[in-house]
Amino acid sequence: MYGWIWRHLPGPTAVRVLTALVLVAGVVALLMLVVFPWVEPKLPFNQVTTQ
Amino acid sequence: MTTLDTGGPPAGDLVGPEEPPARPDRVRTVVRGIGELLITAGLVVLLFVVYEVYVTDIVSAGKQREATSQLDTEWNDEAPAAPEQQRVERFDGLGEGAGFAKMHIPSFGADYAFTIIEGTTERSLEIGPGHYKGTAYPGEPGNFAVAGHRVGKGAPFNDIDLLNSCDAIVVETRFNWFVYRMLPKKDEVGGWADGKGTDPRCQGVAPLGGPYTGLVGQQIVNPSQGTVIAPIPGQAGDAPSVGERATLMTLTTCHPRFSDRQRLIVHAVLVKQWAKDPTKPGETPPELKETS
Repeated sequence: MYGWIWRHLPGPTAVRVLTALVLVAGVVALLMLVVFPWVEPKLPFNQVTTQ
Repeated sequence: MTTLDTGGPPAGDLVGPEEPPARPDRVRTVVRGIGELLITAGLVVLLFVVYEVYVTDIVSAGKQREATSQLDTEWNDEAPAAPEQQRVERFDGLGEGAGFAKMHIPSFGADYAFTIIEGTTERSLEIGPGHYKGTAYPGEPGNFAVAGHRVGKGAPFNDIDLLNSCDAIVVETRFNWFVYRMLPKKDEVGGWADGKGTDPRCQGVAPLGGPYTGLVGQQIVNPSQGTVIAPIPGQAGDAPSVGERATLMTLTTCHPRFSDRQRLIVHAVLVKQWAKDPTKPGETPPELKETS
């Protein structure tokens, strides 16, 4: 999977490294800003009220 | 990971190099793909821990700051030279998510202060400790019940398991300071009168009688035990008339930490009320200095 992505990144190694870092940052941002806030209330970690 | 990709036939393969064996290569690709997926999943879970414990703190700190400054503006702005009769707290018409009071726990340090938010929805609790709608307001007879996060989201109630009996929980409203103190713990009730009860800080704190018999400062309950925030904690029905109610405060959070299996409950009783002196803004009650 990662090898495939690496092979399909264009440009010389330096550019590829940069693109890869941007991709990683994008995925982390997507997780932190969208996925985690959505999934968090559904998980049994942090319910503080009584019913 | 590309270094693993030799592209050649697997070692020990009996097939000659001139006939490239397509099959083992595909198996290798699939196995490697699964491995990479599993590693990725592990990293995502780790990232979630970072999110839950640190990132939500940062987000909540901003929201809490905003709520506090909004409350400060509200208290300062609409404070004309009101005559004594008009200095009455008004809590009606509070919207979900609006701040209306501040809580201080001096034993957690002089800087422990949180603006209490109306309502206990996820969104409200993200801003700060949330007041259970329908329970009493600060200083009112009944049970002023507040929920707060213990992990992440500012974790206002991170340490409430460390609260000891008689520790002050000071609630600041627009015109008053209300000093609640934690009730005796279960193992202290017995010898209270000549034990811990003799501590000068425990003035006004004693095991409650009447319908409140058996109420202790700290308890751990199941999430379904919603009666801990009832006017008489633990009793769903027969609420006494307002005049006979004790003035209590109840804090709820999750227990054990990082789990929602149970709830940690702290009960406190009102021992003192200081009216804010309009001529001396910034004056604080002596209880706020009990920082040890």
